[in-house]
Amino acid sequence: MSIPVFAFLPGLVRRERASLAATLLAPLGALLVAIVLNLGLYMVMGRNPLAVLHAMVLEPFLSWASFSEVLLKTGPLLLIAQGLAIGFRAKVFNIGAEGQFILGAIFASAIPIWFPQATGGWIWPAMLLLGAIGGALWASITAFWRVRLNANEILVSLMLSLVAAQFLYYLLLGPWKDPNGFNFPQSVMFQYDAMVPTLITGTRVNVSLLIALAWSVAAWVFMQKSFIGYKLQVGGLAPRAAGYAGFNEGWAIWLSLLIGGFAAGLAGAAEVAGPLGQLQRSISTGYGYAAIIVAYIGGLHPIGIVISSVVMAVIYIGGDNAMVSANLPIAAVRVFQGSLLLAYLIAVAFVRYRLEWPHAAHRSPS
Amino acid sequence: MTHLTRRNLMKAAAATGLAGALGSRFAVAADEQLGITLVIPSPIGDVGWGHALSAGLDPVKAAYGDKVRVTILENIAEGPDADRIMNKTVADGNKFLIAGSFGYQNGALQIARRDPSVTVLHASGFQVAPNFSPFAAKYFQGSYLLGMAAAALSKTGKLGSVSAFAIPELITTINAFTLGAQAVKPDIEVSVVWVNSWFDPAKEQEAAKALIAQQCDVIFSNAQDTPSVISACEEAGVYAFNLNSSMKKYAPKTYLGCVSTDWSPFFKASVDAHFAGTFKGANTFLGVADKVVKVVDWNPDIPADTMTKIKELEAKIADGTFSPFTGPITKADGSEGVASGATMPDGEIVAMDWHVKGVATPLPK
Repeated sequence: MSIPVFAFLPGLVRRERASLAATLLAPLGALLVAIVLNLGLYMVMGRNPLAVLHAMVLEPFLSWASFSEVLLKTGPLLLIAQGLAIGFRAKVFNIGAEGQFILGAIFASAIPIWFPQATGGWIWPAMLLLGAIGGALWASITAFWRVRLNANEILVSLMLSLVAAQFLYYLLLGPWKDPNGFNFPQSVMFQYDAMVPTLITGTRVNVSLLIALAWSVAAWVFMQKSFIGYKLQVGGLAPRAAGYAGFNEGWAIWLSLLIGGFAAGLAGAAEVAGPLGQLQRSISTGYGYAAIIVAYIGGLHPIGIVISSVVMAVIYIGGDNAMVSANLPIAAVRVFQGSLLLAYLIAVAFVRYRLEWPHAAHRSPS
Repeated sequence: MTHLTRRNLMKAAAATGLAGALGSRFAVAADEQLGITLVIPSPIGDVGWGHALSAGLDPVKAAYGDKVRVTILENIAEGPDADRIMNKTVADGNKFLIAGSFGYQNGALQIARRDPSVTVLHASGFQVAPNFSPFAAKYFQGSYLLGMAAAALSKTGKLGSVSAFAIPELITTINAFTLGAQAVKPDIEVSVVWVNSWFDPAKEQEAAKALIAQQCDVIFSNAQDTPSVISACEEAGVYAFNLNSSMKKYAPKTYLGCVSTDWSPFFKASVDAHFAGTFKGANTFLGVADKVVKVVDWNPDIPADTMTKIKELEAKIADGTFSPFTGPITKADGSEGVASGATMPDGEIVAMDWHVKGVATPLPK
């Protein structure tokens, strides 16, 4: 099972069935391992690990002001991750949520940029809807290439994110630049009615958080209760069986990408119509990529993703806190995110597989 | 644009600092430590904009010792995260905020409006509030002088500039560079590549190589936070200069000079005023006369007669008898920019959105 030189190393054997307890414990274990590893790193960097831990893990919960920021950050992560997870369970790997997020932001911004004088309560809902459509349209390019031309959707969607960023820069440097903005690449500030209403006064949390929660419920119903969701899952688990049962693979790819793009576009729209209030270059600080981690840490399950998106938001806010009050470089936050995903993937491997040592390698019934 | 009061501000700050020490009722208790936070969009690094800003705080630290506590937050993307981070640092009790990029303007201004006890300095903006001062450097005074040196050394009659964003601040540096060069060689031309980034080494290097390929033999690295343009020029044997802080070590042979900025006089005066409780927000535009802009590390290859002329003009800029934007100046489109004999006021310089004749690349619109 392994190359002779490494014969002393244990091999991996797939478990007949993964235990539920282990499945639930895997993300917690991964979080713990990531925390311990990163605290070690902070000590090597000469920081006080307790101060960092306090800033990172406790501070986000200690004041309403910082917890509201956690909720603000949870919104886009939750939306995107729920959308992506549906595709991931159908084994359609949409890695380009970042680009779909950007297109969503662009589509939504079209309304306040073209109609800066418009007023009325219809504006922000129309922006969110338009943004979601924009994200879905962008994802449909990937779906087309995958289904019609059999191009790898991972590469196509990822590359399209770079195209989306360039398209955004083009708009901001050209047609959509604020005419009174001293040539700086950003749009006008949006009018009041183009902003998603605040949910809790005094904070930046807005109605899009409720939309994200409703979207999570819808994702749960869709994946666990609907026949279409069932077909998608079967297609992911056993593509051949799904084929024999008459489930169309191309259809599953289209649906997965459109749902993922719709959600990411909605998140992008909520970001420009929420805390940003204008279209600018740095509209996304990697939400589209962070949501991939969120989806997997949440076990690709709608309920798990609600929890993991809060955890990821805490890491973001806590990381910023640690930077401000414990003098940690911003890169340390990215290292934390990366090590969390790595630890989780390893943990999941042990949930699904077990080690088999060479001396016991002769046929042990598993 | 309000009145620009750089020198007045400093005089006022110094004078009121004294008054404050005598017991202004706004004065901060002497034993209270002042938290100063500097937020910048790129890494501090060894050179560039962020480096110059952070170095500008060193004399403040030296002067106040334990009475100030400086936090520097680097690599902060402009947007909602920057807003939160600035809010957080102010909520932590840091009452003196230096928002080191144009894009922080809205978030920083909100902080200033919410809490009058906070003092905010904001780089390159245009908004002013009682406790909120935008600040900018008159880089163009230095780039004019380097334009003269560049023209004297150029053999092809073509100069180039790798520039960050087409904002007025950087348009003026290119214009002054061109005017300085024309003062020595009237037919000289300047080509510009806009990279639309403060920090993108690969793109900047490529832009420099493209300009060199077009026969440009002196390159102006306009507001890059990396030495990539300077080192690409050293490799190609082409003279180059930059803004903010010296990059001579990256181009020992072909480094033409640096339009350096020393922010410490401004930071020190502002912190003094904050302690005295007399800080007053104003649009501050600081140059050679304020000892904020200084040209350093002149290349010895510059002909002696040109150098003499440069030094004469530098002295005239310092005492206010010469401005690079003195008419007649023709715009790139052929229309009149500044009338003969007139001098462009600061308020128009900070909003300049046209190139002078001689800049070969049209301004992105």
